[in-house]
Amino acid sequence: MLLIHCPYCEDSLPELEFTYAGEAHIARPADPSALSDEEWRDFLFIRTNARGPHYERWRHIGCGRFFNAIRDTVSDRFLTTYKAGEPRRPLTNEAAE
Amino acid sequence: MSRYRLQGKGRVDHSAPVSFTFDGKTYQGLRGDTVASALLANGVHLMGRSFKYHRPRGAVSAGSEEPNALIGTSRGAGRFEPNTRATVQELRAGLVTESQNKWPSLSFDVGAINDRAYMLFSAGFYYKTFMWPKSFWDKIYEPVIRGAAGLGKSPTEPDPDRYASRYLHTDVLIVGAGPAGIAAALAAAQSGADVTLVDENAEMGGSLLSDPAVLIDGKPAWDWVDAQLGRLRAAGVRLMTRTTAIGYYHQNMLGLCQRLTDHLDSPPKGAPRERMWRVRAGQVVLAQGALEKPLVFDGNDRPGVMLAGAAQTFLHKYGVKVGDNPAVITSHDSAYHAAFDLADNGARVAAIIDTRESPRPDLLDGARKRGIEVLPSHTVTTTRGRLRVKSVRAAPVRGTQVGTGRDIACDCLLMSGGWTPSLHLFSHTKGTLAWDGQTFLPDRKTEDCEIAGAGRGLWGYADVLADGAAAGLRALEGLGRAGHQASFTVANDRPGSGVSHTELPTDGNAGKARAFIDFQNDVTAKDIRLAVREGMRSIEHVKRYTTNGMATDQGKMSNINGLMIAADALGKEPPQVGLTTFRPPYTPTSFGAFCGYLRGETFQLTRKTPIDPWAEANGAVFEPVAQWRRAWYFPKAGEDMHAAVLRECKATRASLGIFDASTLGKIEVAGPDAVEFMNRMYTNPWTKLQPGRCRYGLLLGEDGFIRDDGVIGRLSPDLFHVTTTTGGAARVLTMMEDYLQTEWPELDVWLTSTTEQWATVALNGPNALAMLKPLVEGVDWDDFPHMSCAECTVAGLPARLFRLSFTGEVGFEVNVPARHGLALWTALIEAGKAYDICPYGTETMHVLRAEKGYIIVGQDTDGTVTPGDAGLDWAIGKAKKDFVGKRSLSRPDIVAKGRKQLVGLLTEDGSLLQEGAQIVLDPNQPKPMKMVGHVTSSYQSTMGHPIAMAVIEGGFDRMGETVFIPMPDGVRKAKITSTVFYDPQNERLKA
Amino acid sequence: MMTSQKHDFAAAAIRIEDAAPALRLSLRVKPAHRDAVGRALGLDLPARVGQRAQAGDIQALCLGPDEWLIAAPEGAPLADAARAVYADAPHSLVDISDREITLRLSGPAVLDLLAACCPRNLAAMAVGSAARTVFDSATVILWRDGPADFRMDVWRSFAPHVRSLLAQAQAEIAAGL
Ligand SMILES: [Zn+2]
Repeated sequence: MLLIHCPYCEDSLPELEFTYAGEAHIARPADPSALSDEEWRDFLFIRTNARGPHYERWRHIGCGRFFNAIRDTVSDRFLTTYKAGEPRRPLTNEAAE
Repeated sequence: MSRYRLQGKGRVDHSAPVSFTFDGKTYQGLRGDTVASALLANGVHLMGRSFKYHRPRGAVSAGSEEPNALIGTSRGAGRFEPNTRATVQELRAGLVTESQNKWPSLSFDVGAINDRAYMLFSAGFYYKTFMWPKSFWDKIYEPVIRGAAGLGKSPTEPDPDRYASRYLHTDVLIVGAGPAGIAAALAAAQSGADVTLVDENAEMGGSLLSDPAVLIDGKPAWDWVDAQLGRLRAAGVRLMTRTTAIGYYHQNMLGLCQRLTDHLDSPPKGAPRERMWRVRAGQVVLAQGALEKPLVFDGNDRPGVMLAGAAQTFLHKYGVKVGDNPAVITSHDSAYHAAFDLADNGARVAAIIDTRESPRPDLLDGARKRGIEVLPSHTVTTTRGRLRVKSVRAAPVRGTQVGTGRDIACDCLLMSGGWTPSLHLFSHTKGTLAWDGQTFLPDRKTEDCEIAGAGRGLWGYADVLADGAAAGLRALEGLGRAGHQASFTVANDRPGSGVSHTELPTDGNAGKARAFIDFQNDVTAKDIRLAVREGMRSIEHVKRYTTNGMATDQGKMSNINGLMIAADALGKEPPQVGLTTFRPPYTPTSFGAFCGYLRGETFQLTRKTPIDPWAEANGAVFEPVAQWRRAWYFPKAGEDMHAAVLRECKATRASLGIFDASTLGKIEVAGPDAVEFMNRMYTNPWTKLQPGRCRYGLLLGEDGFIRDDGVIGRLSPDLFHVTTTTGGAARVLTMMEDYLQTEWPELDVWLTSTTEQWATVALNGPNALAMLKPLVEGVDWDDFPHMSCAECTVAGLPARLFRLSFTGEVGFEVNVPARHGLALWTALIEAGKAYDICPYGTETMHVLRAEKGYIIVGQDTDGTVTPGDAGLDWAIGKAKKDFVGKRSLSRPDIVAKGRKQLVGLLTEDGSLLQEGAQIVLDPNQPKPMKMVGHVTSSYQSTMGHPIAMAVIEGGFDRMGETVFIPMPDGVRKAKITSTVFYDPQNERLKA
Repeated sequence: MMTSQKHDFAAAAIRIEDAAPALRLSLRVKPAHRDAVGRALGLDLPARVGQRAQAGDIQALCLGPDEWLIAAPEGAPLADAARAVYADAPHSLVDISDREITLRLSGPAVLDLLAACCPRNLAAMAVGSAARTVFDSATVILWRDGPADFRMDVWRSFAPHVRSLLAQAQAEIAAGL
């Protein structure tokens, strides 16, 4: 069971208080009807399936908020977490290690 | 007084005899004994038969690593446990134990025929044998092998014990309370840190309990341990004995299994048998010590052959002499101390056989003083004795030549192949190991942990204590706290060293040697070499091919020996061959400990509605729906389910039915942007829905498939009362919150779950309106048509009243605050008596809705059904520019021909179809047939014949066609129809 | 009707009681309008998750950046007060009095009791704070009113499961092992 840092509660809390919510930074297109079938397919189904640092979303039961995280899918370690709506965090050297 | 018990010796209570039985015979032990030490005190070495060859076996160790002495224990009805290690099970009054893998008796076992057929059971046996003629499987392999093999027998009754679990948060967790662990705890307990020290044994002290002559800071070892434990207790350190750290997980999360009652004669009432601790530690110190390795030689598994350190433990901890006349075979200095201690306690040591050329002079001195013959540069080529070792054959080794051996009589043989650091928990963390030429030591860490003492290859108490103190201090500093470095003076220390071996050299036929590596799985050195010859290269392959290390002890004793031999056979260095992965749990752990509280009535969460007590009192049969238990039907005396449901359906259609709909999900959507939000989420248009009116809402995923549905009422311009399916409540709210928080945070609208705020009672039937009207205040009935809603009072209770129907009859749903749910229900039942009101359950609800062709999301849809497929195009707001899932409705595969569409089915012979049954167009086509769809719903109906719904490829274009449903008892024919079987014009709703 | 009821178990180390029904409101409002709604309710709404505020017998707990739980005696006229500022400070105020029930858990062993099923480090939770967390498979709100004094809000239908778990843990603690 991991400890996950909730950027809204500003506390590291047990994983049991959190649920996974899929890959992060996949924004719903402002006008879906303007997208080609291929673009829409990619939005719906195509994910990075990263081996290593993965941008993903979690939700905290405590505050009810969705937030972003970078988690290494090999080590299952959270490299960082940040609030929903914030831009994609770059992978810092420490985070990439 | 038992024959082999030394009066006054050991930590057992000589004034407290405890009797127990083993294979039906009563024995006396002492309080503080394990079953193994008590049997050994009585001269019993033979404790079981091995797994594959049924060879006689005795205890080879004195601890939890024991592979051989597995017994069945019984503590009363339902409390039988197989495969308990006799070296761990503490004695308690009335304990009943039995040996395993024997028939008809332990000393004469028919299954031992396997032993003589050992050539058949060699490495890869499972893979090779079962490929033989197929017919052998049923007749020979399965019955014979399953009968002869197996480890103990399963309990047959439910476990009557209780098990507990608990979370613990601690600054420093120290695993192992030997000298290193105690020193670490003393260091970590400075500066007010919260420290937890755990040990799997009944007493703390570790190896010091087996080395009482050691002096620490001038105190005899046992006194020192007592004093330090007292200090730790005074410093508030949590001390937990009989507590095994079974797993080490991410971020310093460890699982501990604490055994609470198995050692007690009469456990306190209500006490759990075991408790699983889930510990989150700031820092972890692993001080688990090292495990002694057996040596590998022919006949190293006879009862009476045991680890030298185990003999030393039985002597000092339990006051038990494991034999009068021990011989010793060793490649490590430590075995000399066992020999000396036994000699000093009256045993006549036959010889110390040392594989090494030049044993340490002080050890040779010690032997000479005690009159013990030492044979350096010697090997053991075999042992003799049927149920107990009688002699050992020692032979000199010069270079690679084994000279002529001689038989040395003995009644036990103590062996030591050196020591293996216990790195199982460290391995759980994926920490890497480094080979130091003899064994693996911890290398790169992945967690905030320290490894101290023998666990990282140190030997001798002075070094181990200093290392433990340093590790404890580093842990403390890791928490950002400071402490000072303690030091210890040690006298009578017993440092030592040794060498590692493959099989010991032999003068006999190496191919015939029965030199065991894995005692529990009966794997020999020959098996490992055969595996390599047959092409296994990685230790993981060797392990699986031979099953070495795959028994319940996970190869605690066998892994290094197996690796050494595999590496030798491959001509590689051990680290190039690799060490197999250790996995949790460290030792076998009861299912009960994992279950904890999650059994019996708390096995699983069961949600009940406020009206549930009435249903229970009135004989409802319940069914689980999502986490809820719901009234399924209300049988009257003599009624089966079919009769009860048909009666409920007919009563509702004829007059009035009442149904507990409280489990429906409810979401309050409130705020100035509520209508905008609803327009974006649901397929339907909401802008023109007037306050006081409701509408059926359909929710899609972004992929265009149906996710949920429900009737939604607009209570005011800014307030919607949304209902969802029972199972979808939490999911839908989460989905909506997701859009609101991350896609449309600019909207001023908020969502609140009110599922449990409201109890919901549905009234349906031609008399529903007449019955309800007099109870309602605050509704203008002239303006309350079908699909209306209002806040009002019902039976004097504050209510939200909806006029809607899921049955095809005039219907209402009355919502009242949950505390009033039962009062509302009983008031409606009372008022309904004039109309023969009939309570009905979920089955009748399903039938009535199916007759009307109303879908149930999750039953008639399966996550691949679009509104078009379900015939719900009418629910889509065509003029809306966007809503969740809209773009997908024009995806190529959604608009393609041949999608499965929801239709009705009527069987030609009037038989009831099975839900889930597959549908074909031509029953005579060759197999495998092309299946074009399946039955989603099927019921006996009120119309005198069964009805069904199904999804069928191109179903809408096949109206009137016949399809076929092959079933085990024959092919059914059915005609495709509309899904609306009852009142297609909705005449009854207008009443 | 729900009554305030005491379960009289032998274990003095722990007391488990049902709290009397109370008015519970879920308040949702964006940060920009937090103060305005707070003023209308007579509360200084705390901004940090887990913090509480109290005015008379009305308590507010910050559950999320835009979410507060308001607890008050039954009949407190808070809805009307909030409605008065709705136009300028849009928000959602939903009565959830019946959605949950409240248990009072107290006694010297209360932390052990909660540790049976709650993964949070409750010993580290400040007195006077609160948190939404989990107790086994139920989501609960824990209010720490004193060092050995907690309140637990749990959805009504989850209460039997939670009560049963609490009773088991209580019996286990009473057994003394
Ligand atoms: Zn949070």
